[in-house]
Amino acid sequence: MRAGDRLVMDAVRRGGPWPVVLAVTAVAGAAAELALPYAAGRTVDALTGAFAGGATESSAGVVTGLEEAFAGGAGGWPAACVALVACVMVCESVGVWARGASGARAAALLRRRVLRHVLGAGPAATRRFPEGELATRAGLNAEEAGRAPETVTGALALLVPTAGALVALTLIHPALTVALAAGIVLVLLVLRGFLRTTTAIAGGYQEAQGEIVARLVGALDGARTIAAAGTADREADRVLAPLERLRRHGLALWRANASAGVRAGLVVPLAEVAVLAAGGLLLASGELTVGELYAAARYAVLGSALSTGLGLAGALARARSAGARLADLLAIPRPAYGARGLTGPPAASNGGTSPTGTPSGGMSTAGAPNGGMSPTGTPGREAWSPGTLEFRGVAAHGLAVGDLVVPGGSVTAVVGRSGSGKSLLTALAARLADPERGTILLDGVPLPELSHDELRRAIGCAFDRPVLVGDTIGDAIALGLPVAPSEGVAGAPPAGLPGAPPGGVAAAAAAARADGFVERLPQGYATPLPDAPLSGGERQRIGLARAFAQAGRLLVLDDATSSLDTVTERQVGRALTADPAGRTRLIAAHRVATAARAGLVVWLDDGTVRAKGTHADLWRDPAYRAVFQDPAFGEPSSDQETPHADKPTSPKRAVAQEKTS
Amino acid sequence: MTTPGTTARRGTATAPLRRALRRHPHQLARIAAWSVLEAVPAFLIGHAVARAIEDGFAAGRPATGLAWLAALGAAWLLAAVAARQIVLAVAAVAEPFRDDLLAVVVHGAVRRAAATAGARRDSAAVTRAGLQVELARDAFAAVVTTVRGFAFTVLSVVLGLLTLAPGAAALVLPPFAAGLGLFLASLPALARGQRAFLVADERLAEATTATMGGLRDIAACGAEEREGERLAARVAEQARAARALARVTAVRTAALAVGGWLPVLLLLAGTPWLLRGGAGAGVVVGALAYVTQSLAPALGGFVQGLGVSGVRLAATLDRIAASGTEEAPPVPRLRPEGAEVRLRGVAFAYGPHARPVVADLDLRVPEGEHLAVVGPSGAGKSTLAALVSGLLRPDAGEALIGGVPAACAAPSARVLIPQEAYVFRGTLRDNLTYLAPRAPDGELGRAVAALGAEDLVEAAGGYDAPLDPAVLSAGQRQLVALVRAYLSPARLVVLDEATSCLDPAAEARVERAFARRGGTLVVVAHRITSARRAGRVLLMDGPDVRAGTHDELVRTAPLYADLVGHWQPEPVS
Repeated sequence: MRAGDRLVMDAVRRGGPWPVVLAVTAVAGAAAELALPYAAGRTVDALTGAFAGGATESSAGVVTGLEEAFAGGAGGWPAACVALVACVMVCESVGVWARGASGARAAALLRRRVLRHVLGAGPAATRRFPEGELATRAGLNAEEAGRAPETVTGALALLVPTAGALVALTLIHPALTVALAAGIVLVLLVLRGFLRTTTAIAGGYQEAQGEIVARLVGALDGARTIAAAGTADREADRVLAPLERLRRHGLALWRANASAGVRAGLVVPLAEVAVLAAGGLLLASGELTVGELYAAARYAVLGSALSTGLGLAGALARARSAGARLADLLAIPRPAYGARGLTGPPAASNGGTSPTGTPSGGMSTAGAPNGGMSPTGTPGREAWSPGTLEFRGVAAHGLAVGDLVVPGGSVTAVVGRSGSGKSLLTALAARLADPERGTILLDGVPLPELSHDELRRAIGCAFDRPVLVGDTIGDAIALGLPVAPSEGVAGAPPAGLPGAPPGGVAAAAAAARADGFVERLPQGYATPLPDAPLSGGERQRIGLARAFAQAGRLLVLDDATSSLDTVTERQVGRALTADPAGRTRLIAAHRVATAARAGLVVWLDDGTVRAKGTHADLWRDPAYRAVFQDPAFGEPSSDQETPHADKPTSPKRAVAQEKTS
Repeated sequence: MTTPGTTARRGTATAPLRRALRRHPHQLARIAAWSVLEAVPAFLIGHAVARAIEDGFAAGRPATGLAWLAALGAAWLLAAVAARQIVLAVAAVAEPFRDDLLAVVVHGAVRRAAATAGARRDSAAVTRAGLQVELARDAFAAVVTTVRGFAFTVLSVVLGLLTLAPGAAALVLPPFAAGLGLFLASLPALARGQRAFLVADERLAEATTATMGGLRDIAACGAEEREGERLAARVAEQARAARALARVTAVRTAALAVGGWLPVLLLLAGTPWLLRGGAGAGVVVGALAYVTQSLAPALGGFVQGLGVSGVRLAATLDRIAASGTEEAPPVPRLRPEGAEVRLRGVAFAYGPHARPVVADLDLRVPEGEHLAVVGPSGAGKSTLAALVSGLLRPDAGEALIGGVPAACAAPSARVLIPQEAYVFRGTLRDNLTYLAPRAPDGELGRAVAALGAEDLVEAAGGYDAPLDPAVLSAGQRQLVALVRAYLSPARLVVLDEATSCLDPAAEARVERAFARRGGTLVVVAHRITSARRAGRVLLMDGPDVRAGTHDELVRTAPLYADLVGHWQPEPVS
C-alpha cells in the first residue's frame, strides 16, 4: 500500500461514523434502485393481470382483485415498490448528507495534519517545494484526498446498478443485453473523441486569458503614470484588447462542447430505443410481458450510466494522487528540539545585560574578560560571554565552516560574493537549517538540544526580504514575542496615538527606524497589513524591528539592510553597533560600511571561510577588496538606495502579504 | 448594513445579468424555438411507448410497434441537433456576458489603482476576480440551459400526459409540484449555505497561502504553534461550513426524491383505476416512461442548475460587483495660466490617525525653475510630487499649478514620471507618443536624440516593431517614460526618481535635456548629483522642510551635508 493511500485510509478511519453511513446508503440505495424497475414491472403485470382476470366480473370483484393485489395476492410486488422507493429516497438524502460530512471531516483532518507538519518543518519545506505548491497541496489536494471515500462509494453506487442492470437485462432476455452493449460501446468511443478535442482548444483560450491578466498587472504597476495622465479608461480598453480573441476561442470551445454533447446525448436514448425494439419483438412473440418490457427499458438507461462511471474512475485516480502528494509533504523531515535551557543572566529576557555581563553555568572559563572584538577568534573558550556562538567542524550543503567562534556580545560581519554561502551560514546560526556534519553551540549548548521556546527566545533573525505575518503592523513586529499580540503583550499600551503598540514593539521599531513611517500609516501600528503600502526598505525595517523585539542573546541579520538608503542604514547601523542589550550580532552584508563597523569579519569564498579578522587587516588583500566591487553587489558605493529593491515587492510576495490578514 | 445599501448592491450585481438577457432578443428567440424541438421526445416518449405496445407488439403488429419506436428515435435525433443549436445560442449570450463582467473588473481595477495612485496594489485580488468571471460565465450558461430545459420538458410532459391519460396527470402532477415547492423553499437556505462555504473556503485558502509564504519567518520567530492554531481555526471554520452545506443539500435531495419518485408510486397504486378508465397496460407503461425518463431527469437538472450553478452565479456576481467601481464624479478640468507651482499651508496625512507626512508647507516654484527635492527615504518626497501634480489633494491648504488647483488641472498641463516606468505592450511609437498622440516623426527623433535613447530605438527594432515590456531593462523602461514626458505638451514636468535606473552620465544628460526643454522642472532626486544640477534644492526630513541653493544647504543643514558626504562613492583603496 502506498503512503498516500495509507494516509487517506487513516483519515477515513478517524472520520467517525460518516464513511460507514456513506457506504451503507450507497450500497443499499444502489440495490434498491436496481430492484425497483423489476418490482415496478411485476406490479404492472400483476395489476393488469388482476384487472384482466376480473374484467368481466362485477365492480366488487375488481375491488377484491385490487385488494388481493395489494395484500400480497400479486406476490407482494406493490408493497415491495413502496419499500424500495422509500429506501431509495432515504438513502439518497442521507447519502448526500454523509458524503458532504465525511468529505469535510476527512479533508479537515488531512489539512490540519499537513499544515502542522509543514509549519514544524519550516524553511525545510520551502527548500523542497515552492510556496505556491505547498499552498495547493495543503488546500486543493487535501480537499480531493478527503473526497476519496465519497469517490469509492460513488463508484459503488454507480457500478452496482450498472453491472446489475446488465445482469438483470440478461436474465430478462439475453438479446436485450446485446442491444444495450452496442450502445455502451458507442458511449466510450464518443467520450474518447470529446477529450481529445477540448484540450487542444482550451490552450488558445487560456493563452488569451493570460494575456489579459498580464496586461492588467502591467497597468496596475503603472498606476501612477496612468493616474497622472488621466488615461484610466483608455488603459482599461487596452487591457481588454485580447477580448476579441478570447471570445473567438471561447466560441470554438462551446462548439466542440456542443458537438460532443450531441453525440453523448444521443447514445442513451438510442440504446434505450434499441432495447425497446428488441423487447417489443419479444413481447409480440410472447416471450416477454409488458412489465418486463418496462423493466428492460429502465435497465437500459441504468446500464448506460457506465459512462459516468468512467468519470468516477478518473476521480478516484485523482484522489489517490492527491493523497500521494500530501504524503510527500509529510515526508519532509522536521527538526527535533531538545529540552535544555540556556544558563546565565540573560536567560529568557531580552535586555539589561551588559556586553561584558558575567556568564555563569557550566562554562569552565566563566569570567574571562570579554574579547568580543577579538579579530582572530579561535575555537576555544577564552572569549566566552553570553551569546557566544560556536561552530565545530560544521559542513552543510556545499558550505564548509569548520571551527568558528562568534564571541558573545560582538558585532561579526559575514562577507563574500553572492553565492559564497553567507545566507546559509546565517541560516545555520539561527537554526533555520541544520548542518550535515558538525555541531553549532550557543553558550555551550548544541542548538538541537535547546527547547524550541528557549531557542527562539534567544535568537532573532532578520532577512533581506522579510515576509510579514499577522493582521496588523503591530502584530507583525510582535510575531517573535512569546504572547499572542491579540491577547496583549505585557504592559499597558502607552497613551498617545490610537492603536499604539506595547512598549517593546515601539522600542524595537524605533531602533530599526521604522517608527517614523509606521506612525504615518493610516492607523499607525494598528494598520492592517493589506492596507499598508510598504516599500522594500520599509518592509526590511519592520523585519528588523521584529528581530530586535525577539532576540535575547543573538541577532542574525541576513542582508537585512540592503534596501535602506544611506542615512537610514547609518542610523540602523548605529543602533546595531550600540545595542544596549549587548546581544551578539551576526551580520551578513555586502556593504563596506557594515564590514568596517564590525569587530570581526568572516570572509566567505566559494563555500569556505577564506579568512577571519578585522576589516582593516583584511582590506590589505586586493581579493578582499574585490568582494565589494563585485557587480552582483552593485557599485562599491552601494550606499544609495538600491533602485530595484525599494519598489513594492514582487507580486508573489505582495500576494503573501496581502493574504496575511 | 442598511437595507438601501444592500438593495443597491444587489441592483449592480444583477445588472450585467439583465443586460445579457436583454441585449440579444433574437438569440433568446432562437433558444426558445430550438427548445420546442428539443422537447419533442419528452412529449412523444409516453405516446410512442404506449402505442408501440398497445397497437403494435401486444396487438401482434410488430411493424406498427417498430414504426412508433423509429419515430421516437428520429425525435431523439432531432432533439440532439436542437440541443447543439441551443448550446451555441446560449454561448452567444454567455460570451458577451463574460466580456461585460471582465470589463467591469478591469475598469474597476485600473480606475481604483489610478485613484489611489498605485498606493495599494491588489494584483492578486484582480487575478481572483478574473477567475470569478469564468465561474460566473459557466454558471450563467448552466442556469440558462437547465431552467429553460426544465420549463420546456415539464410543458411537454403535461401535454403528453393529458393527451395520453388525463387520469395519470392527476396522479403525477401533485407530488411533482410538492417536490418542486419543497426545493424552491429550501433554495434560500441553500444559497446561504453555499455562500458561507465559499467565504470560509476562500479565507482558508488565503490564510494557507500567506502561511506557506512565510514559513521561514514563522520558524525564525518561533511562532509555529500560534500560526498553527490560527490555521486550525480556519480549517475548522471551513469544515463547519461544508457540513452545514451538506445538511441543506440533503433537504434538497429529499425534495428531488419526492418530486421524482412519489409520482411513480402513485401511478402504480392508481393503475387499476386507470385500467378501469379504459387505459391499457401500454398506457400505464407510457405514463411511467413520462415520469422516469422525462420528468425526473428534468427535475434533477433543474435542482442542480438552480441549486448549485444559480447559487454560485449569485455569489460570484456579488463579488464582481464589489470589485467594480462607480463612475468617478467628473472633475472640472481647468487650463492653468502658466506653469508656476504654488503650495500654501499644505498639510497631508495618509489617514486620520496617521502622523502627517507634510505639514503647513509653503513653496513657490516660479515658471522655468529647476527644483530638486532631496531627503532620506520615507521623508515624503513622493507624496510631495503627488501633491504638486494633483494626484493627491491636500488635507489643508492648497496646491496650485498656474493658479488653478493641481487636482483640477488638465492632465496635459503637467506630467509626472514615477520611478516605476509604465511601458505597455504595443509598438515603441505608441509608448513614446502616449501623451502626444500626433507628434510628427521629426519631433520624435529630436526627443530621442536629446535624451540619448537612440540605442533603445535600435534595440527595439524601430518605432513600429511590437514591444514586449518584459525584455526591456529597468533603465530602458525609464528611458521610454522619459521620452514620453519630453514629447508631452506639459509645461510642468515632475520626475519622481524617474532616472534611478540610469547610469549617472545618462541621468545627467536627461536632466540637462529637460532643463533646456523649458517650463518648470521638479526632480525628486535619487542621487545627490541631481541636486547639484538644480537651481534650487528642497530638503525634506519629515515636517522639517528647507529650501535653498546647494551651497547654502551644505553650510546650514547638517542632514544635507550628511547626505552629500555619504552619497559620494566610498574610496575603494
